[in-house]
Amino acid sequence: MNPMDAFRQNPVRIVIEAGREVLGRPAYLLLAGAIALIVLAATLWLPNYRLLGAVFSTPGVALATKLQLLAGLAGGLASNFGVVAAVAVVIVPVLFGVDVAMIVYFAKQRRARLARGEIAASLGGAASGAIAAGCAACGSFLLLPVLSFLGAAGALALLPLGGAELGLVSIVLLLLSIYLIARKIAVPPVCELPPGGPITRQPPARSTP
Amino acid sequence: MNQSSPHRNAIRLLLAAAVLAIVMPASAQEEITGIVEPVSARDHVRGPRTAPVKLIEFGDTECPLCKRLHPTMKRLVDDYRGQVAWVFRHFPIAEIHPKAPKEAEATECAAELGGEVKFWAYLDRLYEITPSGNRLDPVELPRIAQYIGLERAPFEQCLASGRHTARVAADVVDGFAAGAPGTPYTVIVAPSGKAYEVVGNQPYETLRLVIDIALTQK
Repeated sequence: MNPMDAFRQNPVRIVIEAGREVLGRPAYLLLAGAIALIVLAATLWLPNYRLLGAVFSTPGVALATKLQLLAGLAGGLASNFGVVAAVAVVIVPVLFGVDVAMIVYFAKQRRARLARGEIAASLGGAASGAIAAGCAACGSFLLLPVLSFLGAAGALALLPLGGAELGLVSIVLLLLSIYLIARKIAVPPVCELPPGGPITRQPPARSTP
Repeated sequence: MNQSSPHRNAIRLLLAAAVLAIVMPASAQEEITGIVEPVSARDHVRGPRTAPVKLIEFGDTECPLCKRLHPTMKRLVDDYRGQVAWVFRHFPIAEIHPKAPKEAEATECAAELGGEVKFWAYLDRLYEITPSGNRLDPVELPRIAQYIGLERAPFEQCLASGRHTARVAADVVDGFAAGAPGTPYTVIVAPSGKAYEVVGNQPYETLRLVIDIALTQK
């Protein structure tokens, strides 16, 4: 096997190379970081947006107290999630940020459209991450409505991690999406030669008189 | 290739998030004040009923986060010495914890047979022994009653009768009306009536922060 082909088939190498190519550019690094921060902040603060609204609209509350509340709710990561879910809550936004940055990079650099599989893996990862984030309160946010819709709410009680499995599913889907897009980025933007070199056309045999 | 475009997009996203963070909560806050049923004689209250701040908790006895919040709430009532009263309302999520509604009825049976003291004793013991996540063996319910000093037979008769089903259901309706997205869901009501909704099992220090703000709202 050609060593270059072997290198290309190693998924970890592919992701690292593509990641370097995309995140090595400050604009895309900033984009990935901003998305990761927004998703993480939404996970930690969105369930309590009414509380934040009530406190922020209360007259006489010092800015320091408001900031303390924001920090305190972020500290809810430890009290509201088990170890597996807490790890997923932190990792999912980071992976989602990287995934989106890579998709934007690919779409802009190559002016190409992604296949449905890549988009589905990316959206699936983000959606299952959002559902898993609902575990901040029992039955809250998207978790219960979605599972009820699927007729699987009762199954949640049977899961050994009580729903934190969704966070793991989300991580797997996002990794898959990143791998699929990285594979496309890693491929040089040229029409590759087939193995064995160019196919040369045999000149037409001369007919002998 | 224009490299500044993703940069601009990122800034736009950040701005949108900031606007949402400021505007959304302020408008949502107006909707909730006054939606929770006022504390009345039917409520189970720990601490003085005349306390200026009320912590109205909607809880599910099989919710692991409610189990973890329970000692925090006890600590808050103790630490605020008369300034805070804790009101417990039932919000069993039968879809994921099918055993929780019957457990809620069991706490009501304890209240019927032994008053407020036995209600809280039963609830404390239930949270103490349940592994949560719908894993408490129902045979434990009469055992808890005996443990807190109630007679087993009348307790079992009460539980079998289902006479507190409607009471539990009424609390659930109140929770839904208040906008409870899940459990634990705690509405901290200031003396002025302003409500501060707390979703999830927030740390002791965070709850203290909100209570201190509520105490200033007279």
